[in-house]
Amino acid sequence: MRQCAAVTVTIALRHIKKRFGSQVALDDVSLELGRGERVALVGENGAGKSSLMNVLYGLYGADAGEVAIDGKKVRLRTPADALAHGIGMVHQHFTLVGPLTVAENVVLGREPTKAGLLDLPRAKAEVAATCARFGFVLDVNARVDTLSVGSQQKVEIVKALHRGVSTLILDEPTAVLTPQEADELFAVTRRLSDEGLTVVLISHKLREVLSFATRIAVLRRGKKVAEVTPEESTQASLAALMVGEREAPAAPPASTPGDVVVALAHGACGKLKDVSLEVRAGEVLGIAGVDGNGQRELAAVLTGLSRLDGGTLHLLGSPQPSLTPRAARRLGVAHIPEDRLHHAVVTDFTVAENVALGRQHQAPFAKGPRIDFEGRLSRTTSLLEAHDVRPRAPSLRLGALSGGNQQKLVVARELDANPKLLVAVQPTRGLDLAAVDAVRSRLLDFRAQGGAVVLVSLDLEEVLALSDRVVVLYEGRVTGEFTRGEFDERLIGERMLGVRDA
Amino acid sequence: MLLALLSSVLDAAPAVVFAAVGATLSERAGVVNVGVEGMMRAGAFGAAAAALVMPTPLGVLVGVAAGALVAALHAWLCIQGRSDQVVSGMAINLVMLAFGQFLLEAAFSSPAGTPAITQLPKWFGHSPLTWLAIVLPFVVHLAVTRTPWGLRLRAVGEKPQAVAAMGVRVTRLRFGAVVLSGAFAGLGGAQLSTAVLDHFESHMPSGLGFMAVAAMVFGRWTPLGAAGAALFFAFGDALRISLASSAPGLLEVVPQGVLLALPYALTLLVLSLQRRGAARAPAALGQPYDPELR
Amino acid sequence: MRETARAALPSVASVITSLVVCFLAVAVLRGGLEVALDAFLAMTWGAFGDFPRFFDGGTSAAVLRPLGESATKAAILTLTGLSVAVAFRVGLFNIGAQGQLIVGALAAAVVGAGVELPTALHVALCLLAAAAGGALYALGPALLKRYRGVHEVISTIMLNWVALSLVENWLVTGPLRATTTGDNSIAGTAQIHASAELPRLLGDVSRLNAGILLAIAAAVALWLWLTRFVGGFQWRAVGANPEAARASGVNVGRAFISAMLVSGALAGLAGAVLILGTEQRYPATIGAPYGFDGIAMALIGNGHPLGVLASALLFGGLRAGGTRMQLFGVHKSFPELIQGLALLLVAARLMWMKVSDRLLKPKGGP
Repeated sequence: MRQCAAVTVTIALRHIKKRFGSQVALDDVSLELGRGERVALVGENGAGKSSLMNVLYGLYGADAGEVAIDGKKVRLRTPADALAHGIGMVHQHFTLVGPLTVAENVVLGREPTKAGLLDLPRAKAEVAATCARFGFVLDVNARVDTLSVGSQQKVEIVKALHRGVSTLILDEPTAVLTPQEADELFAVTRRLSDEGLTVVLISHKLREVLSFATRIAVLRRGKKVAEVTPEESTQASLAALMVGEREAPAAPPASTPGDVVVALAHGACGKLKDVSLEVRAGEVLGIAGVDGNGQRELAAVLTGLSRLDGGTLHLLGSPQPSLTPRAARRLGVAHIPEDRLHHAVVTDFTVAENVALGRQHQAPFAKGPRIDFEGRLSRTTSLLEAHDVRPRAPSLRLGALSGGNQQKLVVARELDANPKLLVAVQPTRGLDLAAVDAVRSRLLDFRAQGGAVVLVSLDLEEVLALSDRVVVLYEGRVTGEFTRGEFDERLIGERMLGVRDA
Repeated sequence: MLLALLSSVLDAAPAVVFAAVGATLSERAGVVNVGVEGMMRAGAFGAAAAALVMPTPLGVLVGVAAGALVAALHAWLCIQGRSDQVVSGMAINLVMLAFGQFLLEAAFSSPAGTPAITQLPKWFGHSPLTWLAIVLPFVVHLAVTRTPWGLRLRAVGEKPQAVAAMGVRVTRLRFGAVVLSGAFAGLGGAQLSTAVLDHFESHMPSGLGFMAVAAMVFGRWTPLGAAGAALFFAFGDALRISLASSAPGLLEVVPQGVLLALPYALTLLVLSLQRRGAARAPAALGQPYDPELR
Repeated sequence: MRETARAALPSVASVITSLVVCFLAVAVLRGGLEVALDAFLAMTWGAFGDFPRFFDGGTSAAVLRPLGESATKAAILTLTGLSVAVAFRVGLFNIGAQGQLIVGALAAAVVGAGVELPTALHVALCLLAAAAGGALYALGPALLKRYRGVHEVISTIMLNWVALSLVENWLVTGPLRATTTGDNSIAGTAQIHASAELPRLLGDVSRLNAGILLAIAAAVALWLWLTRFVGGFQWRAVGANPEAARASGVNVGRAFISAMLVSGALAGLAGAVLILGTEQRYPATIGAPYGFDGIAMALIGNGHPLGVLASALLFGGLRAGGTRMQLFGVHKSFPELIQGLALLLVAARLMWMKVSDRLLKPKGGP
């Protein structure tokens, strides 16, 4: 791989470092952007792509390193600074005001006036001119919340262009678009870059990266591991660079799968389009996939938080046409949700109260309609001990515990209910290494005792380390299924990225 | 009779019109304002007390300032202190209820009300504030729909992140809107004590602030809608009073209490018949702005 | 203990700050710290028993009469405070306690005057009618919230005025107005039968009636429910984190509705205590904003039933004692100012929390 020399370097990020707590998000990353270039940033979830661009857009302050524009060092502390330097960014989550029109959204904050009044005709004309100049077809009079997602994204881009940016960062722009909208987006953006706009594309979709970018930077675990051109790359070679060479994780002892615990046939719910899968007692089914491909919905369906729009779900052999969270718990479904603070715990409750949550009606937490304080305390005490949750203080407010200890408590609580099925979503995200090991070994213990586990994780390494089988989700459908022994990281990576069979 | 009715509406309505139009400003910016009652009370007292020592028109300005000051407290609690906005508003109401009484005692040693002041002069038979109440809703409508400030105001109540992303200070915008809302409520209160009556009465504004909130909701958070609802409520009230004297027989059939309850019952009915999820209150109403939330 | 202290600190600090500020206000306005001290002492004796006079050889009434007055006021404050607090614990803001109180008071007055029954039974029936009336009146906002997404703050504000207008401007002055006897036309409904009156606790010494016992019992019962029972645990979970509660198998909608019913019933009971204990009929107007005082009690008491009780006892006392401040040129509404200021300070709860977290930071810690 040769280092690509940019034609004229306009923006240089040098030796950027960024930490979030104990996690290193960016580790000495440098990147140069030349005028009119189309640079793609690729990498797995958490590789640091968005973090790097958020530093450039002034949303994150870097811990070390500098940004230079046209050879001069600049300070980008807020998005306003970045905009002033001609840098615009379109986020995955739009910052549009729904009830306002396209024109109003675009001129917001820098409105044309006439005699102190908003000059709406001029605003519309100016925005229409911007749209025309860059080839966007938008009705400037339309309310933004009546537009399709694709059009809303165009409004975001027009907002940046209207401010006269010379560099445009697109963060996963096609995640919410239909293929046709995506093609149109790239056609327009390519033409803009031909006119001199520098474009940075953050994407997981290697096909579009290869067809769009003039240069591709690959990040892995906070480091830039390669810069390549599309001509010298294939989807497979990029996937390999993203995943890297890893030691094969130590395989857990072979499992002896028992009865079918979960049987989902053609399940559909929001982003989940059509997924069929089975999970048996005594096995870990890993769900691999890039964020937002239906994993969240799958977990919600299995735990009763969302209803299926289509398809059928059987739990432990019985059909579940209208599963509620309460019924799911009664059937023996435990849940370690992705967003602990919103869905699993009450931070203003004590540790002991949080342990009771979900089984508040059952022994040892209740005697009839009354709370069994002694039972709750002794169970909590033994759980804290067994799972090494610190401090061992059942009456402490949960919010006073560290994130790792909160998560250990959630795992302890969920496994303590003697479930038949555990749905674990990102169970180790944000934990330190010791806590990660603790949580992972708990999951494997549960499996060894005959429990069924559905493990959803964005970290492929984790999925491969723990799973007996892996199902790959891409755009709400199963694009691959692998059994331990035939795990092929490269192939799984390709399936996650929607690489079609050759 | 119709003329007399119209005339009494012109006297009764302005206080609620001012307060309701003001309330839309605060809520369109995303800050709940159930403290209108307290802000009106501050305005009513401030105006009457000041008018004892200065010309009444200047007293009205003092009332406006008093309303704005109380609103600034609300804004500070909600925006800087991130307090629950309903709690803060109700606290404002209760404090002003007690504080007004306390000041009456402390300054005038009379629990019922202040001494009489010179009323505002009449222009064409009504106080200047009446004519202002006809003009002001249109001015505010224009400001909200046709100025950069209005555009930002509407945006900040829907999606503060969008406004912040374009380099506008969310907290400053909201603070200003709440203070302005209090100034309007203060003006409404001042109208009660300097134009409708000629003194501050201990119970003022006796629920008109809550009626203003109802009018704002009824008018779907728009200045003209709120003003229209306030007028409608005032008309109903004037009709009730006029019927009581002119056609007491009718009140046997439709009792006064039922007519009094009507504005509130109607507002509730409209709210409950609205389609769920239909655009009504500003999307970010009641939520403190968190710059880190996207 | 640390958690209790952490939760209670903002309230205690607010009340103390408010007392100090108001003390200084009196000192400034009435010429000196000594006057202020005398006025505050007079208020204290008037609230919690005139001990100086008692030890000077006065009768026990010197202590009991003020206490009785305080407890009478505290009973209603406690019940409306609990009403607001219980809704608060599931995350709802019931501003409608005033309207529910009016409906409950009317129900108690009608049943108290309309039927004849043996004493205990009659009182019980009146209380039941009041609780049911208040609960039904609170059901509307709960259902509108659950099924139509109407914010409970707006709907309860509207219903307050609907109740006030319908009851005080129509029913009480119209269909339910007491029939005149002789020349005396009485405003309000007919006098309730003696069998419906709440028993007096101190005989002729004070108006104190069994309402305070009811209020204390309600506070203790609610406290036990919230802390000792699984159902109360679920309500608290809904109030603190509805998403987590739902994921834990709690029916959030049902918790909203049942808590609102209890809230309305408590406000209705407050109305009943007012009628059966003090007024003996629904008067021309109830006048005082008891429901809004309930908001103050609930917030100063931090939503905790015993905190509400404590706050109601304190402010009930200050109100009863406030009349004695008139001797020092301070109006009897002064305690309401103390209460309002305390509430305003409590509204800045998050700021107090920062202070308390700094003060109570665990040493070492995890």
